[in-house]
Amino acid sequence: MTLRFPYESLPAVKGYRGRHILDLEKCTGCPVCSMVCPNQAIELVEYNGKKYPQIHLGKCCFCALCAEYCPRDALHMTQEAIITIMDTKEAVYTPERLSQAPPDSMADETRQPPR
Amino acid sequence: MTTSNLEEREISFMVIPFGPQHPASGHFHAKVKCNGEEVLDLVAYPGYLHRGLEKLMEYRTHVQNAMLAERICILDPFSNDLAYVNVTEMAAGIEAPPRAKFIRSIMAELGRILSHVTWIGVISSALGLESGTRISWGDREKIIRIQEMVTGGRIYPCYYVPGGVRRDLSQEHIDEIYKVLDYIEKALKLYDDLVFYNTTFMARMENVGTLSKEDAIALGATGPNLRASGVATDVRIDEPYDAYPYVNVEVVTKEKGDSYARALCRRGEIIASISIIRQLLEKIPAGEFRVKWPMTKKLPAGETYFCCEAARGELCFHMVSDGSDKPYRVKIRGPSFSHTLSIFPHLVRGAQLADVPAIYWSLDPCPADMDR
Repeated sequence: MTLRFPYESLPAVKGYRGRHILDLEKCTGCPVCSMVCPNQAIELVEYNGKKYPQIHLGKCCFCALCAEYCPRDALHMTQEAIITIMDTKEAVYTPERLSQAPPDSMADETRQPPR
Repeated sequence: MTTSNLEEREISFMVIPFGPQHPASGHFHAKVKCNGEEVLDLVAYPGYLHRGLEKLMEYRTHVQNAMLAERICILDPFSNDLAYVNVTEMAAGIEAPPRAKFIRSIMAELGRILSHVTWIGVISSALGLESGTRISWGDREKIIRIQEMVTGGRIYPCYYVPGGVRRDLSQEHIDEIYKVLDYIEKALKLYDDLVFYNTTFMARMENVGTLSKEDAIALGATGPNLRASGVATDVRIDEPYDAYPYVNVEVVTKEKGDSYARALCRRGEIIASISIIRQLLEKIPAGEFRVKWPMTKKLPAGETYFCCEAARGELCFHMVSDGSDKPYRVKIRGPSFSHTLSIFPHLVRGAQLADVPAIYWSLDPCPADMDR
């Protein structure tokens, strides 16, 4: 029952509500995700000539209403749950950072446990 | 010069904090006035978890509030959301489809089992039996894994919305639920040996904090605390909601009203919940699981009241709507309000100082739904 984290971790579950991932091709900049968010954590900013959402993960409650109501199916939730920051400014995820895919697993298999 | 004659020495008392910095107290502060080992009085100071949820709900629409409502008491994750969603549907005059009602009741009963297994861990820790905590919270992980698979969130499910539920329950989920129910039945035998029929546990809980039937009704006890004093009342039978009219709910009552009777009541409720989930899983109908409910739906003006049976007692919502898409006023009645502020000081007067944690946790309070 006990796992030696971070050397081993639980397998991720499909459909877990981790942080968001944005598809830059499909997003049109309509403000539905920003209007639907219960905590007003989404703001539309300019990037590469179009408007994209910028999400403040400190205010986000990870309820996935924005992903559910997106009319172009551009916003999804990944399984990345471990997000560490040293400054509150790092909690604001710009559209460029939101479009990057998360790492494959939570465990760090490159490290060896101490003997 | 002091005399050594006990009757002539004046009685002096000291005030000890049963405070938030205490291994057995939780998010709660109380000042205990005691004379030696005997408790004379207790004054409770709630408010450590006041977040202003009732006011926050006035600025959000009903679908957004359903994401906020479960944060009232997260140890019992589905009951708060169930009460909010039902009161909203009652006000709008719309009913959820039958499959959604069955799924809601199945997950609510799983949440009740989760809350009682968490309670076994917490009361073991308060009385000093740490193995009870570690083993029962390891078993709690199996139920949380089911929540993760079905709803997408381990502790905050965000699963119920007005109009139904957000995701469907697949056959794979149902197989996993059956496996977990078998596991909990086997684990109950271990909890019997370790906690419920442990001689030290029985010695610390029997005849301690006895609540009579008249006092329980007068001071506002609900849930297992009321049923352990001999009153057979349960909202799931008196005013059934969701899928409870279709199943046979067994009500567990005990006669004595002491802390040990309350503990055995909760153990009986775990067994009753397992049987309710099995009955619901056999009868679950096929069909749609969500009715269309627009984001800014306006509700007609008026007042609505709804009561549900949470793991700790009766959790009720009183909603006033003024015709717009946001509620005008929401009043939440948490079950722990009367347990901690009226019943706990009443039971503790005259008891020994070492009984205070045992009485406190046998009432199973949740400071979050006392303060909101």
